[in-house]
Parts: sequence; structure tokens; C-alpha cells
Amino acid sequence: MGTIKDRYAIVGVGESERSRKSGKTPLHLALDAANAAIKDAGLKATDIDGFMNYNEGDSCTSHQLATYLGVRPKYVKDIQGGGASTEMLIADAVALIEAGQLNTVLIYRSMNGSSGTRVGRGYDPDMLQRALTGGSFVIPYGSASPSQWFGMYATRHMHETGITKEHLGHVCLSFYEHAQRNPKAFLHGKPLTMENYLATPDISSPFNIHDSCLELDEGNAIIVTSAKKAKDCASKPVYIMGMAARQCHPHAHYWNDIDQVASDYVAEELYENAGVTPDDIDVASIYDCFSWVVMRQLEAYGFAKRGEVGDFVAEGNLKIGGKLPTNTAGGMLSEGYTHGMNNAIEIVRQLRHDYKGTDRQVEDCKIGICTGWAGPDIAGAMILRN
Amino acid sequence: MTQAKTAYQKPIPLKDIDNAPYWDAADKHQLALQKCDDCNAYSQPPGPTCAKCGSENVSWEQFGDDIKATVYSYVVSYRPFLPGFQDELPTIIALAQLDKVPEVKIMGNILNCEEKDLEIGMPIQMTWVDITEDRALPQWIPATN
Ligand SMILES: [Zn+2]
Repeated sequence: MGTIKDRYAIVGVGESERSRKSGKTPLHLALDAANAAIKDAGLKATDIDGFMNYNEGDSCTSHQLATYLGVRPKYVKDIQGGGASTEMLIADAVALIEAGQLNTVLIYRSMNGSSGTRVGRGYDPDMLQRALTGGSFVIPYGSASPSQWFGMYATRHMHETGITKEHLGHVCLSFYEHAQRNPKAFLHGKPLTMENYLATPDISSPFNIHDSCLELDEGNAIIVTSAKKAKDCASKPVYIMGMAARQCHPHAHYWNDIDQVASDYVAEELYENAGVTPDDIDVASIYDCFSWVVMRQLEAYGFAKRGEVGDFVAEGNLKIGGKLPTNTAGGMLSEGYTHGMNNAIEIVRQLRHDYKGTDRQVEDCKIGICTGWAGPDIAGAMILRN
Repeated sequence: MTQAKTAYQKPIPLKDIDNAPYWDAADKHQLALQKCDDCNAYSQPPGPTCAKCGSENVSWEQFGDDIKATVYSYVVSYRPFLPGFQDELPTIIALAQLDKVPEVKIMGNILNCEEKDLEIGMPIQMTWVDITEDRALPQWIPATN
């Protein structure tokens, strides 16, 4: 069992407005998110001595954020990253607090993901050929978008396990249904039916627009501190039971072996660290850049057996009221998209029972999982409890 | 100077210190694969060392121009994400599993193939498209036997 179990907590979460066109810089969005999280925790900005951020060259720096919060921090850290970076930075924060270097860390992701850099539209071809391992074996064939990269995995996996397009639709419908209960979800007021889903043409098979995450302007923030310090915060602490991450694929080049993903390896270590099993999980945030990515992780994290994931989602198990209420604010398919941090925020709110008395609350939930996926080669996850 | 409309608009494979033998062979309409002399693993894409065992003893094996494979997986792209693909939609991007070396999978487009005929396991063969005066791109077409 992990030695940090239950000794650290998330004590504050917050977000900026989300939109297609913020009209602000990422620094403004980060300030909005940070201030919301600080208020949520009942802290002063100067209580925070570490700031961390992940970005794709599309954000402000941690130093800038701290500066304009009026804080002169001991430690700042900006990493290149997307999915799974939330979980990895939380692990870094815990490690630095454990080492006695810091007391309280604010982690944020801020981006003009719609009006600024858009991941889904692909990248500069020459940059990609050089930046990706083996890029010259991929880019000349027109494969430059994560939808195409992950789609290659999806087609094979669906072929082997009997997952159908309609099964993918159930993932989308479940999350869209949650978004209808969340007034702050970007697709609130835009419900989805299976008929509409199936009638929507693919952008890149097997994915249509509904299978793909939103691209929005948005900032999110999370505050981590020790369980001891958490007692002084205004919010109900959500304790970290265990974490695990993996930043490599078994193969040198991930298109050469599309049958394994990093999540397969993270799962075992995660449950061991947290001292729980999939049966103990009451509520989930599963990284959903694409619908199939959820399916693959449900298999990896042991929520349904290989070959049975399609039936699992078709039975409505991802919906509130199902066996594993997942992405209960709408997820990245229909709430917002900050490479996973919005999903982490939601799991914290569920475990605090912030929605008690409404149809958004997963009743009496005690233990939650939050998973990240930057691709088949990068995964990070954590298990939290109230 | 503006480029002629007929110029090749798609990204051209960039040769580097590690992959040059692969692309040099492709320019001659041949397939070459990097292989580790110590653990016998093929490295595709090639690298500075064998990524399986770390050995620096890597060499190149020539496979000629009769390259058979089957479709291991694929995506059909209806939207261009890179220059040059806008006129050839939908684009079939496939992962080809080599008959002779099944552990090696090579990405490419399947040309002369209708989407409705595309399926996993389908036999395909390598072909080469001359894209500039001195460069050729390995591609795939349905196998004719
Ligand atoms: Zn070797």
C-alpha cells in the first residue's frame, strides 16, 4: 500500500468561464480559476507556496500566475503535457510537500483551446515529423490528428472485442445526459439521441463530432495540501488514497503495437497503492478525449471484462444511477476540455457531496477514480475518497 | 515564386541519421528494415539503437519490392488534417502487418480501394508512388495475387 495513503488532500477546485472565444489571455483565465479554487478552499493566495501547470505552449507560466495573485512562491513548475498531467502533477505536489519543501500547491491548466491553439486541427507537418518518434512514418500519410492516431487503436480493438459504433454512442449519450443536468456544461441544452448520433457522419472513423472532445477556452485549478493542513480549510477535504502513472509504451513506437496501452499497466499499481478494487469505486472520471478511449480504459481499469465493455455501457452503467456513474458533469465530450482537469474537479465535487439534494449527486459516494490518458503511451490515475 | 499547382503538397518524409536507409530504399522502390544483430528484433521505425535491448549493433535487411501484407487496422479520414489531402478524401490510413515479419507494422494509405471493400485482414501489397523527382513514397494497394 502506498505510504502516502490518505495523508494528502485536494482542498480547493475552481474554474473560469468556458466559451468558444474568451476574449482574454490564458493568464486571465488562470487567475479566474485560481481565485475560485482559493476561495473554495477558504485560503489566502499567499498560503500557496507552489504553483504548477501543464501546457502545450498555449498557457501562461506558473510564475506569471503567482505574480499576479500577489504571491512570491518558493517553487514553480511548467511541464509540456496534456492528458494524465493533472494526476502526475498532483503526485509531484504530494512528493514536494512530503519532502518538506512546500506546504500547499496550486495546479492549473489554462488555455484558449478554441480561439487559440486547436489540438484537433492537427499540427505543423514538419514539426510533427521531427517531434514524434517515427513521425516521418506517419505524417506523410495524412495522420496528424489524435483522432486518427487513437482511431487506429480503436478500429482494431473494436474488431477484436465486438464493440460497435452504437456502443460508442452509449458513452456519448451517457455523458451528454449528465451535461443536461449541469448548467455550466458547454453542451447544456443540447441533448443527444442515438438516432442523431448514428446519423452524424464520421470525421475520422470510427469517430464523429460527438465522439470527440470539445475545444474550448477555459481555465481550471486544483489545490493540494497535507491532510493536516486540510483540516484548517473551509472545504471538505477529499483524500488521495493512491496514484500511479506510466509514461511509455511497451513498444518503441506506439503504432507498431496497438494492442497495449499504458493504462493497462497503471491500473494494477493504482489499486495496489490505494488498497481498493474496482468494486469499491462509487463514481468515476474517465479521460474522454474520444468515446472509445473511455471504453478502452473501462477494460484496463477492470470495470468490465474485455469483450463485455460494449454491453456494460449499453446497459446504462455510466449514467448516474448505473453501476459506475462516470463523467457526471458531462466530461470532455460535453462539459468542457482542459485535458482532464475538469474531470478531476468533478470527482472532487461528487465526493464532497456538493450536489446533495439534486439529481446530479451520486448518492452517498465515498470512493472515486480519476484517470488520465495522453495517448496509448501515457496514463496517470488516482483514487480519492471523502 | 509560387509553386506550380501540380507540385506535391503533402508532407514529404524527412530523412534523418536514423531513418535514411529506409527512405533511400523507398526511393528505389525497395523495402529495407533495421534489425538488431544481438536480439534479432526488427526496429520499425528505425532508431539509433535497438529499442528492445539497447544494442548499438543494428544493421539493415533488404526485402526487395514484392512486399505482401494484411490490414491490421485502419481509419478512414473524411477531413484533411494536413496539406495536400483535401483533394483525395476520404483518405484510408492503414496499418499493414507484413506477411514475412508479422511483428512489423507499417502505416500507409491504401490506394485504389473503395471504403466499402476495406476490412481488417484484407491482403494488400506495397507499391511506390513517385512524389518528386528523387523521392518515392511506399503505399499499399489491394493484393491482386
Ligand atoms: Zn536488440
